Amino acid sequence: MANLNIDSAKERTYDAIVIGSGISGGWAAKELTDKGLKVIMLERGRDVKHNVDYPTTNMYPWEFKHRGQIPQEIQDANPVVSRCYAFREDAQHFFVKDQEHPYVQTKPFDWIRGYQVGGKSLLWARQTQRWSNFDFEGPARDGYAVDWPIRYDDIAPWYSHVEKFAGISGNKDGLAELPDGEFLPGFPLNAVEDYFSKHVKTNYKNRHVISARCAHLSTPNQIHIDQGRVQCQRRNLCQRGCPFGGYFSSNASTIPWALKSGNLTLRPFSVVESIIYDEKQGKATGVRIVDTNTKQTEEYFAKIIFVNAACLNTNLILLNSKSNRFPNGLGNDSGVLGKYIAFHNYSAHIGAEVEGFEEWATDGRNPAGGGYIPRFRNVYKQETDFLRGYACGLGAYRGYKHEGEGFGEAFKAGLSSKDYGPWYVGSHMMGETIPKASNFVALDAAKKDAWGVPLLDISVDYDDNDQKMQKDYVEQLTEMFTSAGFKNIKAETNHQAPGLDIHEMGGVRMGNDPKTSMLNKWNQLHTCKNVFVTDGASMTSTSCQNPSLTYMALTARAVDHAVSELKKGNV
Amino acid sequence: MPYCTPGKPTVHYTHFDVNLEQQNLVAALAETIIPKTTSPGAIDLGLDKFVWLMLDDCTKKSDQDAFFKGLGEFNDLVKKTYNKSFSDCTKDEKAAVLNNFQNKPDQKKADPAEDKYSKELRGFYGRIHWLTVFGYTESKYFMTKEIVWELVPGRYNAYFPVKNLKASKNG
Repeated sequence: MANLNIDSAKERTYDAIVIGSGISGGWAAKELTDKGLKVIMLERGRDVKHNVDYPTTNMYPWEFKHRGQIPQEIQDANPVVSRCYAFREDAQHFFVKDQEHPYVQTKPFDWIRGYQVGGKSLLWARQTQRWSNFDFEGPARDGYAVDWPIRYDDIAPWYSHVEKFAGISGNKDGLAELPDGEFLPGFPLNAVEDYFSKHVKTNYKNRHVISARCAHLSTPNQIHIDQGRVQCQRRNLCQRGCPFGGYFSSNASTIPWALKSGNLTLRPFSVVESIIYDEKQGKATGVRIVDTNTKQTEEYFAKIIFVNAACLNTNLILLNSKSNRFPNGLGNDSGVLGKYIAFHNYSAHIGAEVEGFEEWATDGRNPAGGGYIPRFRNVYKQETDFLRGYACGLGAYRGYKHEGEGFGEAFKAGLSSKDYGPWYVGSHMMGETIPKASNFVALDAAKKDAWGVPLLDISVDYDDNDQKMQKDYVEQLTEMFTSAGFKNIKAETNHQAPGLDIHEMGGVRMGNDPKTSMLNKWNQLHTCKNVFVTDGASMTSTSCQNPSLTYMALTARAVDHAVSELKKGNV
Repeated sequence: MPYCTPGKPTVHYTHFDVNLEQQNLVAALAETIIPKTTSPGAIDLGLDKFVWLMLDDCTKKSDQDAFFKGLGEFNDLVKKTYNKSFSDCTKDEKAAVLNNFQNKPDQKKADPAEDKYSKELRGFYGRIHWLTVFGYTESKYFMTKEIVWELVPGRYNAYFPVKNLKASKNG
């Protein structure tokens, strides 16, 4: 029997464990297996194989029973996920329904989750903008959170590394606040977006409207063909999973790549209960999982562990990894774990009508979604009564003209008209939020899920800085739209809960000082050096760029360091 | 099991039953909004059944209740005016009834009391109209024969000259 157990433990021992298969977990697996390590990737949900498990990907609109709408009973039972723009009939199977995985909302928080292989990388909005030093230096300059332990130069080569493989489309815009990357050809701005871009360039100092940079293969390179991916077909049905691999997802890119190496074992249906800490060795030795089908507990062992469970679940796993050495959660001597959760402020948008440009329309679909306005507030110096700033999405659209009301033969014929209506232009804000100790997650003292893991209790809210920033966005964009000659400008603010931005970050933040941070500059737990956290949980501040590209780069950088340390015998 | 009373076949949905008179009214209204011409109309395309499906599956209980209240008022209104059901009205009579629900300021209203229509009555017409048009423009017929919806466009032209618009597919 003893031998059997030893053999069994041996079979469950790998060089590295990756917890989670989403955008950062996929990168961890790819980089680790590329370097020859034997890796097991643990995913709490089911497998989703590229192409095989995209059931709706080639369906026409009329083939959906409710033409895309989610039935009322599903909405009533799952109000949180129903507020997500992408939770529709074509992609609902990739979202966690509220009822399936409850959590505690001490303050309202719309926690949008994708529990399957690939995680939310199947569903993301694919916007990929680099951070600059204005972002990494932000906390130190403006006196919030803690200083980032890295600067742009530390991560720049890793941005390049992941961009080349993932495939990022964009233009070299030459902006200090939004560094250029390794780009495939960008998607062009349309007539109105282009006009607005030129108008802003001429009339505003340090404000720019550029083509949004996105993780689509506008024109693939050999490295993308080698992944089995081909050119993006401009379908804009990405949330269904793309049969062309036209956009970057773990499913289309990093996971099949890692599997092809022969070094990756993928284990779906594996909820990680905790990370096992060995006091004698002074490091983590493995993880304890619950098989969601059998409800059996199993342990897996490895020299290094990458935690990529997605921001809040990464917090949950560390909080639940209690030992004599770490009674308050793994690596949590400082008490910082779970605190300084932040997100992006998406609480306002603006729309307007555009006169003119009748000679132009668009044909086909733009996967980039249109334009992007990098942060222009407080970039070079503090200039407003709020800290930091916001980026803006910017898109113009023109559709066929038809009457909303009426009936009968003429009305019916009008619906088939291919005469174009007027142009419309719209924008939404993406604001940085300030991490605070009072925005935190914790384990619920009593409630547990079906696998005996405590439920996460979320206490995250907006603050005064967010309100001021929202007001400024409305004022600035209204002024810019007015100056551009747009008409009937309507700004709207919403009261959406934090979380619906799906950019939750922090709780396991990086920093120089173990007393005020969890991770060092290599995303390594200060006090448990063989555990790496490289998803959104590791973020010291949020900036306002869409964060996934930065998670990818941090992950590849951390893997490089981890493997180097492993070879030196330091972890 | 669905049951039928002679002359009054009722269709059982999850949240309500629909009698023959109600079925006929919704079918006649949908057909008045999207009539059969040289191309298929609402009934050909099953849009009346689509209205009921969406009312059953994708509509709040309070809105379902309001719909049936509005439907009853619509029925009463037509019977009071023409002494027959909407589906038995002539094309001109149907048009006159629907004109009362148009919001355009210059629209002539046949019914001098139209400004007294209840919220439910207007809501009933609004919902039928929206669902009929939605069902029509998202029907296979419309998306393959009228304004073609492409599964794989394969292109994005940011500057598409409008003079080429007849060659255009969709945005």
